Amino acid sequence: MWNTIFPYLLTGISVGGQYALIAIGYTMVYGILRLINFAHGDVFMVAGIVMVYMAASGMPLWLCIPLVLIVTALVGFLIERVAYKPLRSAPRMSAMISAIGVSYTLQNLVLYITGGLNQLYPTIPWISDSVTLFGATTKMVTLVTPVLTILLVVGLVLLINHTKIGMAMRAVSRDFETSQLMGIKINSVISMTFVIGTFLAGVASILYFTNYTTVIQTSGAMPGLKAFVAAVFGGIGSIPGAVVGAFIIGIAENIIKGLDIILFKLGVIASPIGLATFSDAFTFALLIVILAVKPTGLFGEKTTDKV
Amino acid sequence: MSENVLKIEHLTMRFGGVVAVNDLSMDINKGEIVALIGPNGAGKTTAFNMVTGVYTPTEGKIALEGRDITGKRPDEITKLGVARTFQNIRLFSSMTVFDNVLTARHLRRTSNFLTATFRLNLAEEKKMRAETEALLKEVDLWELRNEQATSLPYGKQRLLEIARALATGPRLLLLDEPAAGMNPQETEELGEFIRQIKDKFNLTVFLIEHHMNLVMGISDRIYVIDFGKQIAEGTPAEVQNDPAVIAAYLGVEEEGSDA
Amino acid sequence: MNNALSKKKMDSATIITAAIVLCFYVAVFIAEQFIAPTSMLFTVLKKGATYALVAVSMNLLNGFTGIFSLGQAGFMLIGAYVYGIFTIPVASRLDVYQYYNGGLVQFVLPWFVAMLLAGLVAAFFAFLIGMPVLRLKSDYLAIASLGFAEIIRAVMQWDKLGPITNGSNMLRLFPAFNDFNIKNADGQVTVYLSTLVPLLIAGLCIFVIILLINSTFGRALKAIRDDEIAAEAMGIRLASHKRLAFCISSFFAGVGGAMLAMYQTTVQAKGFTTAMTYEILLIVVIGGIGSVTGSCISSFLFVAASEWWLRFLDQKQMIGDFEVPLLRNGFRLVVFSIIIMVVVLFFRKGIMGTRELPDLIRGIGRKNKRPTNGRTEGVRSEGLAARNPRPTNSEDAGRNNKGAAAK
Repeated sequence: MWNTIFPYLLTGISVGGQYALIAIGYTMVYGILRLINFAHGDVFMVAGIVMVYMAASGMPLWLCIPLVLIVTALVGFLIERVAYKPLRSAPRMSAMISAIGVSYTLQNLVLYITGGLNQLYPTIPWISDSVTLFGATTKMVTLVTPVLTILLVVGLVLLINHTKIGMAMRAVSRDFETSQLMGIKINSVISMTFVIGTFLAGVASILYFTNYTTVIQTSGAMPGLKAFVAAVFGGIGSIPGAVVGAFIIGIAENIIKGLDIILFKLGVIASPIGLATFSDAFTFALLIVILAVKPTGLFGEKTTDKV
Repeated sequence: MSENVLKIEHLTMRFGGVVAVNDLSMDINKGEIVALIGPNGAGKTTAFNMVTGVYTPTEGKIALEGRDITGKRPDEITKLGVARTFQNIRLFSSMTVFDNVLTARHLRRTSNFLTATFRLNLAEEKKMRAETEALLKEVDLWELRNEQATSLPYGKQRLLEIARALATGPRLLLLDEPAAGMNPQETEELGEFIRQIKDKFNLTVFLIEHHMNLVMGISDRIYVIDFGKQIAEGTPAEVQNDPAVIAAYLGVEEEGSDA
Repeated sequence: MNNALSKKKMDSATIITAAIVLCFYVAVFIAEQFIAPTSMLFTVLKKGATYALVAVSMNLLNGFTGIFSLGQAGFMLIGAYVYGIFTIPVASRLDVYQYYNGGLVQFVLPWFVAMLLAGLVAAFFAFLIGMPVLRLKSDYLAIASLGFAEIIRAVMQWDKLGPITNGSNMLRLFPAFNDFNIKNADGQVTVYLSTLVPLLIAGLCIFVIILLINSTFGRALKAIRDDEIAAEAMGIRLASHKRLAFCISSFFAGVGGAMLAMYQTTVQAKGFTTAMTYEILLIVVIGGIGSVTGSCISSFLFVAASEWWLRFLDQKQMIGDFEVPLLRNGFRLVVFSIIIMVVVLFFRKGIMGTRELPDLIRGIGRKNKRPTNGRTEGVRSEGLAARNPRPTNSEDAGRNNKGAAAK
């Protein structure tokens, strides 16, 4: 039984780590702007495309990786300045629509550049190597991801709790107006939030696409949505919540992908019943259930509306 | 002894650790104008919000004409005959003055969405419009009926809120600081107006107000609360001379110098 | 919007509007008889009619009730499938359901019955999903409804449902728009109706939505959009009214889905993606959130631009010997995206704002003295209101009167 489940569990943990890195971007932006940044998944995809083109230009990979991260963070910064900042005092729906517009634009831009064809992701040495663990063969990246995720999250939490900019972020997410009155430079805090969020999405893209090997303009949509679900699941605004949520979703999704085979091997079912179709749907079902039962998520704070 | 309209018993509301209203009991009788006063943050609006169903009280009971309404939804309570205005004006901002009042007649409809969509409710719609017209003429807003509600001057917006509340067909009207932001003359007119509509529509009025001239002028009885707790109750004259009230409003130190 | 005094004016404006719509239909009928049926014009009109209906149905939620739902593609999918499943001729079923022995359903409903059923089933699902979803706040509702659409998409592709839905294979051979053409015994078309009929269906549905919006229920929905708390205090039950709007919107999205199936002639669940919902949302935004007229105009413009007018951007163009740079496959969509972002950022009211065609006519009639609608600032500022409680004047008033109490 263990041998049957283990490979799916392993992939699940790895994918969960990648979702976690994306989810942090959602949760931080939501915490500060109360905005679902629908374009975040597409920034993740753009990071993949940038990597493809940089590597194709003959640039050495050790240079590509940091450059990709810088470019991604820059993209995040620009999106906020161009598409969200002008709408900061507008109704909430406007900003959300703008985010959807940015998502649409990024996808179409990449479609135009790539011609809508699958782009082969460069093979990054070492993390692309195969390893065998407890009888399951996988890529090194599967093992690297959770470790790297945890390290980055610890770093981020330290940053938020022990630096000046981190303190400013916490203040802004608690009370936007008051922190502005207290002299916190709102604009730089928001920009910093986007830079950190997209930087982590850039890291996630390297890990994710090393595993999936191809990038296309729609590659970011699904991981983006799932990461957002993870953020909601964990309680939006909470970084540990997003990470826990992401791991749960990553694991659950991969177990479901293999559920037919697992159940078949366990003798529960006689023939495959096509449960893998529901691996994406499960995430959303989970979302609807959690929102119905505990709308603030696992680690979210309860708020009362003032009349 | 007149008929009881609103009976509040041992009402308590806690938000987390904060006690906004603490063991409040009140009685309001038919045809009375009763005011609830107290310093800012004393829990007046919270009490209103519990009576109108916006908040469910942590403890206690609210009865309307002998019927328990504790924990009912706001729309249910409105249907039972309680209407309110808001401290921070909450008009339907995209609508005209006329439509604001007309919308408040919606709850007395007998049509369903199909009969309404396919215009099988013409007689009822006509009646609703006629009632709205009558009401707007009554409060002297008829000339402004085509204006967008939020484009009216402040005082008129408050008036419109009252008209809208009246359109729901209440027996008990709750006014949350109706005179806020009005000048003395407007305030005086408002007092007269409240008395008029009370008689005209057979209402019982329960209001929160800071303009003491207004409160003292029109109220039959006054309840005073501070920190969520009742500190006095009585006629305007009684309340004005109550040492506890003076202390709450001016602070304890000044009590001696004032007296 | 409508009141006793300007009743006369309203009536004449309504009559002019009706006349314009009638002229449009007559023009389409005539054009269809004389212009080659392969013309792009008809493609645009057919697809535009479909999108207009779906956009208006979405506007009913987003614009008129203030519910930000992103489930439209899911309800269209349900509608398209219900229509397809019940209208594929029995003789063709073995062909279509080739992996499922012709499938389970072995009867056929008339197209309009199937279309009605498409709407009803979509509305039924809306009813079910509305219970948990509609209680949520704006952005949570958006993501939950979006998630619901994804679940529907997965369920429809499930192999075990294959005998009904044909699994992940496409549904085809059901009656399409071209079957509205009247043919003689030799199979030659005598009267072309393949464009007019879809426009009539969409027109009828939109007319019903307009009637709803202008009824007492429509006013209640607008009240909810403007201020939920005030609406509830006026005796409007939020849950039932939101559910009503959600179900009606989904009903028409379902009918729109059936129309899309007829337009495409085939249906496959994997086509009804989130991107489709986004596209419809953007149409609503371009037209003006809260304007039915805007949604209709913008649907036709959107379809015309993407299918027809901007096509040249996707091909190499020569001006003399000069090859225009950048033009190649996909450029059209880039231009398109930029236009949309410009609208979203700088023309937030869209083409029409919250005005309708009769308003425009009335505006021309009296040299347009109407005050502009302050909607964009005033309404739906829920997001801001949540963190920026409205300023109160009671503070000062209270302080000024403390003395009075003590006297």
